[in-house]
Amino acid sequence: MTALLEVTDLHAGYGPIEVLHGLNLEVAEGEVVVILGANGAGKTTTIRAISGTIPRRGAISMAGHDIGHTSADAIVRHGVAQVPQGRGTFPDLTVEDNLRVGAYVRSDELEEDLDTWFGVFPRLAERRDQKAGGLSGGEQQMLAIARALMSRPKLLLCDEPSLGLAPLITKEMFEVIGRLNRDQGLSVLLVEQNANLAIKIAHRVYLLETGRIVASGTADEISKDDSIRKAYLGY
Amino acid sequence: MERFFQYFFDGLSVGAIYTLLALGLVVVFRGTGHLNFAQGEMAMFCTFLVWQIQDWGVPLWISVLLGMVLGFLLGAITEVVLIRPIAKRSAGAVFVITIALFLGLNSLASMIWGALPSEAMPNLFPDEPDDFVRIFGAVWRYESIGILVVALVLCGLLFAIFAKTKFGLAMRAVASNSDSARLVGIRTGTVLMASWGIAAAMGALSGSLVAGSNGEVTSNLMFTVFIYASAAATLGGLDSPGGAVIAGLSIGVVENMAAGYFPLWIGQEMKLSVALLTIFVVLLVKPSGLFGSTRIERV
Repeated sequence: MTALLEVTDLHAGYGPIEVLHGLNLEVAEGEVVVILGANGAGKTTTIRAISGTIPRRGAISMAGHDIGHTSADAIVRHGVAQVPQGRGTFPDLTVEDNLRVGAYVRSDELEEDLDTWFGVFPRLAERRDQKAGGLSGGEQQMLAIARALMSRPKLLLCDEPSLGLAPLITKEMFEVIGRLNRDQGLSVLLVEQNANLAIKIAHRVYLLETGRIVASGTADEISKDDSIRKAYLGY
Repeated sequence: MERFFQYFFDGLSVGAIYTLLALGLVVVFRGTGHLNFAQGEMAMFCTFLVWQIQDWGVPLWISVLLGMVLGFLLGAITEVVLIRPIAKRSAGAVFVITIALFLGLNSLASMIWGALPSEAMPNLFPDEPDDFVRIFGAVWRYESIGILVVALVLCGLLFAIFAKTKFGLAMRAVASNSDSARLVGIRTGTVLMASWGIAAAMGALSGSLVAGSNGEVTSNLMFTVFIYASAAATLGGLDSPGGAVIAGLSIGVVENMAAGYFPLWIGQEMKLSVALLTIFVVLLVKPSGLFGSTRIERV
């Protein structure tokens, strides 16, 4: 498999505080990669550094293009879409407008894509003309994912999609992400605390501790490793 | 009843001018969260430009259009050069910058067009004593009808842009959540620049209408208009364009009715206070304005 996203020696942080101290990771085409880590390990920082929403140093290559110095709005045009932590929907826009604005970087076949995602998320179709701010947490998360997919990305970045969701909704959401990967070959880079569910759809896993990758392996290897299992999976 | 229609109609026409300026405030506020205190002075400055252009012999309406284009540029450049670099560091400092801009543009107008500048501005509409129609017994002057129509057409155009175009969608997205707007590929800087440009262009039109109606353009042209406009924007809810239209027209009507029905103890001198008192009461009851969003967010 060829690498779709390749991150080399990534440093990032907020102001004078460096959170990531030289991260290396890659996501192959068609792969679901999960980064596990505790609070404060740098998971969100990693996602935000890749999507260009915070200042960063290091090489980031996306489908052969260097995006290490590219601005956030231009990175979307390279086929990277982000589902930010805490949904990141547009509360004052209707569900449909949220999806339309998700396709901001393209203009053709919009209606087809709307139909597709309303098909995948029937709850959103029912609420098509409602303001996104009034949706439940689970619906907003689905909307955030659908909105990200409207840009027809090659790579989907998900920042703790399970945060604040009921267990059943979380499970459903991971199933949707897994299905998108299997059926449409969508590559996914997902950071999570909720390791048990995330690892089920993952091909490969990285463990992140205080801004450094401390271990990596296939999902099988990671879940079989006793010490890792105890620390991250809790059984 | 005749009197009622007269005050009502005159109020609408004046309110239409407040509305144009108020919409400019709302467009900027929605995008950036800043109240542009220089909105009135930018309008005044652009109106002087309009006067200058028509004084060079360009037809009046074309001068107004050119003034709006120059206004757009003035607004856009202001955002990029003055507001953006400061806004990144401190939101409070933007307030100071807009005040500085207020004073600076006023002085600049005096520098170019003379101390306490005052130039005779031709009316944009027919303005002879017999240029009116009677509807419901009230006198509808062509000038007032013209102002109302031009203002409403421009508002309609703006709303169409908001609701129907991709750029309008981008503007609404930036207003709703500017971080996520970047994540879907919107160049938020361009949107903000254009917002300031649109606001200033609307100010240019508003100023030209006022000056044409007053018969002159002066450096304090927009002082009271700006007070009414910011009141209208606040009353409507600072982030609601529809609210600004309704509030702008209402304030015009209320002040005219108050001044008309109570000429002795309100009259022309006190009508501003009546408008402001009304707003004070409304905001006590509904702090976010009549149509402002008290944001509902479910977690």
